[in-house]
Amino acid sequence: MRIGLVLPKVPAYSETFFLNKIKGLEKHGHSVVVFVNSSEKRQNSSFKVKVAPKLYGNKLKVGIVSISKLLYAFLFHFKGSFRLFKLLRKDGMSFLQSIKNIISNVHILSETLDWLHFGFGTMALNKEYVAKAIGAKMAVSFRGFDIGMYPLKNPNCYAKLWENVDKIHVISNDIEELVYKNGFNGKASIVKITPAIDTTFFKKRAQQVTTVPTNFITIARLHWKKGLVYTLEALAILKKEGIPFHYTLIGDGTEMERLKFAAYQLGISNQITFSGKIPHESIKDKLQNSDVYLQYSIQEGFCNAVLEAQAMGLLCIVSDAEGLSENIIDKETGWVVPSCNPRLLANKIKEVIRLEESEKKSVSLNAQKRVKEHFNLEKQQLEFVNFYI
Amino acid sequence: MNNPIKIAVYSGVSPSTTFIERLIGGLAKKGLKVFIFGQQNHKKTSSENIFYFTYKNKLSKSLFLIKYCFLLSLYKGKEKKRLDKIILSKKRNSKLLKVKYYPVLYHCPDIFHMQWAKSIEDWMWVQEFGMKLILSLRGTHVTISPIADERWKIKYSEYFHEIDGFHAVSKSMLSISELYGVEFSKMNIVKSGLDLRRLPFNSKTKKSGLVRIISIGRNHWVKGYTYALKCMKFLKEKGIDFHYTIVGVDTNEELLYQRSQFGLKNEVSFIDKMSFEEVLKKISMSNVLLLPSVEEGIANVVLEAMALGTLVVSTDCGGMDEVLTNNENGFIVPIRDAEAMAEALHTVSDLSLENYNKITKAARAFIEKQHSHKKMIQEMNELYKQVINK
Repeated sequence: MRIGLVLPKVPAYSETFFLNKIKGLEKHGHSVVVFVNSSEKRQNSSFKVKVAPKLYGNKLKVGIVSISKLLYAFLFHFKGSFRLFKLLRKDGMSFLQSIKNIISNVHILSETLDWLHFGFGTMALNKEYVAKAIGAKMAVSFRGFDIGMYPLKNPNCYAKLWENVDKIHVISNDIEELVYKNGFNGKASIVKITPAIDTTFFKKRAQQVTTVPTNFITIARLHWKKGLVYTLEALAILKKEGIPFHYTLIGDGTEMERLKFAAYQLGISNQITFSGKIPHESIKDKLQNSDVYLQYSIQEGFCNAVLEAQAMGLLCIVSDAEGLSENIIDKETGWVVPSCNPRLLANKIKEVIRLEESEKKSVSLNAQKRVKEHFNLEKQQLEFVNFYI
Repeated sequence: MNNPIKIAVYSGVSPSTTFIERLIGGLAKKGLKVFIFGQQNHKKTSSENIFYFTYKNKLSKSLFLIKYCFLLSLYKGKEKKRLDKIILSKKRNSKLLKVKYYPVLYHCPDIFHMQWAKSIEDWMWVQEFGMKLILSLRGTHVTISPIADERWKIKYSEYFHEIDGFHAVSKSMLSISELYGVEFSKMNIVKSGLDLRRLPFNSKTKKSGLVRIISIGRNHWVKGYTYALKCMKFLKEKGIDFHYTIVGVDTNEELLYQRSQFGLKNEVSFIDKMSFEEVLKKISMSNVLLLPSVEEGIANVVLEAMALGTLVVSTDCGGMDEVLTNNENGFIVPIRDAEAMAEALHTVSDLSLENYNKITKAARAFIEKQHSHKKMIQEMNELYKQVINK
């Protein structure tokens, strides 16, 4: 089979999810074409990469690109282009808009595919008819932000998608629920394939377990949806109650100023290390030196970092945002706390660090075992191969 | 001094914020000559004592540069050379700096009054040419940036002690600035002044069933709207009939998400920025102005609501406790505490009409006494004189 994958950009080395999927498909004899928007430099890859035409910036350039791409589409890929034009016109799109749509999708129209898979729901917007035009089946992945947040700002944005999609991939049950909540008509089948991690890399090293866990850690993009202000507020409660701890926050992002100020205002600057972004390889060491992993997100698709922390044997306390309550089984492989409530989080942290040694050990072992069995790369690869059958 | 003081009120752009524009207008009326430098974005205010030396687009910038190059070479050749050396030492886009600096050197005001602390490094040079340098301590430039970013802290500590005078809008701002080595004797509090004729007080005449709550402010985390939304969730749980409007945050994803998460779609509206007049109207029509901020100097919007007769519930951030006395002229609650905020709003919704108006009248009286436009201009003028006579 020949499978086209539509993504914002070529997956970076750290984006195991996509790379592993591609690897798995190739291993099973399929070929993969990746369609991207930005033409950044990329590493050598086994798969073909096609970049969308650049339709912004200098108007003259855009004009020249548009005309040449349009001519190319109709001269060399007439069937697909004309079919797309007809589908769009039938849908009520104006003549000019239909032509524009053909131009912006020319990089996909020129390929022969069995499946066209959009890596995020938002990637499929304005491309709802492309798969049909080239005679391919259409698949879409929903991962969190695209279904939890985007439709709030753009109500009904997926109406056309629901009409045209052949198969939907979600990363958790909560995301599936959100798909239905956002108007999905049930016409296509939904398949859940959770994220996975390299369980041979993230493995607990034998070490002495600290009796009183005091090193807390979070690895996250510093974005509001990660609920980090709530996390800091919970830690401030702990400090007030005289509980010793040190918190390491790894990651960078737009919220740095907000978080540093919150830490200062809450009087916990000395208990926090803002590590910024660190190389993927060093993350393992940081996890190794920590006891409790916190992921108190407001909105979260699934969260690979929590899987990695579990694999490393950390005690994980997470919020109940979307996929997190599936990532962690409450009281078995970690603890799940209702989101946006620092008092509840603080109480849970206290409860966890005061647990009997044997209880902590048992949860940690359960988590390691579950991640190894259910969230490994091989399993994910197989699930994706089956997805297209 | 017989000649009127020449003062540059510099914020980088013109027109500036409502407060700065009010200062400019007031000073000009008082007879001071006010110079405006920087980028002209909209219309100029015409007044006989306001002088604009501003530029608009690329072309006007180039012509502007040519003009001042010529004038300086002709009349202030030596000074121009000295300034050119300073510009060269900055190792930055020298053309841009010349466009900014040349007109200031040529017109040479007695005082260069900087409105925003972050531009401090750019303007220290004016002292070398006999101008006095005053800095207004306001906004997140002072309250947040040096805490979240060490670079600003270092810069402020390096330059603040060389500045001739400081203007702060609240005591809390002064105590923050002490961290950066500002001498106490150089600091002056000049509270924001309101043009009270434009802000008529209206006692509420009847108690409505629906509590209309409003917040106004830019789309920034410092405004603490996430706490306000959580507070509204509590209000809804308490069964209070209310509507909450935030003006100025039209499409903030975080707030949109939390509104939906807390099930407040019908109770909470977000509205894009609006004109000052429209804002005043909105405040007048509301029962409560809520300030959920985590940090402020003194929020002007609170002063305006107090003047107009709308009751204020505010967090105890920055200098807000210098304005509000709990239960007397408004309500004040701890920062980052949605529950306390909800509790205060609940209390307000239970107030009798008589008690409501008693509080708002006390608020109006406070504003008339402490925050009149006249008082602000008078005190600012004194600050200028004091700095010049040093």
